[in-house]
Amino acid sequence: MIDERNLQDPASSRLARMLERLQTQRVCLEHAAETVASTAGLVLEIGLGKGRTYDHLRRLLPAREILVFDREVHALHDCIPPSAALYLGDFSKTLPALLPSRSRSVALAHADLGSEDPARDRALVECLTPSLLQLMRPGGVVLSDRPFTELGEPLPLPAGVGLFPYYLYRLD
Amino acid sequence: MSRLDLMIERLQAQRLCIDWAVDRIQGIDGVVLELGLGSGRTYDHLRERLPRRRIHVFDLAVEAHPSCVPDPIDLILGDLLDTLPDFVRSFDAPVALVHADVGTADHATNRSIAASLAPCIPRLLVPGGLLLSNRRELGAGDLLSLEPPEGAGAGHCFLFERPQDD
Repeated sequence: MIDERNLQDPASSRLARMLERLQTQRVCLEHAAETVASTAGLVLEIGLGKGRTYDHLRRLLPAREILVFDREVHALHDCIPPSAALYLGDFSKTLPALLPSRSRSVALAHADLGSEDPARDRALVECLTPSLLQLMRPGGVVLSDRPFTELGEPLPLPAGVGLFPYYLYRLD
Repeated sequence: MSRLDLMIERLQAQRLCIDWAVDRIQGIDGVVLELGLGSGRTYDHLRERLPRRRIHVFDLAVEAHPSCVPDPIDLILGDLLDTLPDFVRSFDAPVALVHADVGTADHATNRSIAASLAPCIPRLLVPGGLLLSNRRELGAGDLLSLEPPEGAGAGHCFLFERPQDD
């Protein structure tokens, strides 16, 4: 019998790609949380989305303050941060608003920005970089689905990540 | 378990069960029905795995990613409680696989939708044809419940087979 199935690429459907992305995020978040275990400081979730990675982060780091940024809330009902921790609006305004009071006080920043518009993503990275450089504490970790080239060379990703690009930086 | 863990578990179960069902229906003639297009992820996986089968897709409206929108000729829009019985009445080709990912946030509504749709499924499937669903209630009548493949536990997917005729 002719094999009618198409098995050539295990990660080409949108279902497979989504799975690779979520598995990569989980492994990277767990690695980043371990990396900053001895670095005091708060956590930034830049891009709440459905709230899945926020939910994972708050379980990994239950004692940390987590500040969350997005344009608007469209998260799952049980993944909506308390309003005091939620900064809604354009990232180019909400993130700089943490300065100067929160300078050098962030241990971990997770920026899940990816759209399907590379030019928009590059502009967003450029806009976030100066604020992040001032907010991050020495030894802090920035994790993103887009490269932040101004933060230096990305570190190797932990074992177990899926077939999805992610970028990990540790600041001096 | 975080929402991230849950979603990973659910997508893994979907992928494992679809791949398993695709393998199982080899040699069984028939089209595929996708009940509930949603974001189009499972439709995309089905059409990638079964490039030579026709897939009829049902949903209330198209909210899928643009790359996962079926050809209009394969798309049946409207309330499943109307469109599926209509399809049963008018379509006489064999159906080898029904994948039904249906539901809302309301459990009572989900159960009642599933109960209303369930009688359609055995009438559609060819002997040996499969139903794969996120709703156990959809597998009714003389459908046989099958054990999901290893790794696809936790109640995310339920598999049923129409037995061979005596």
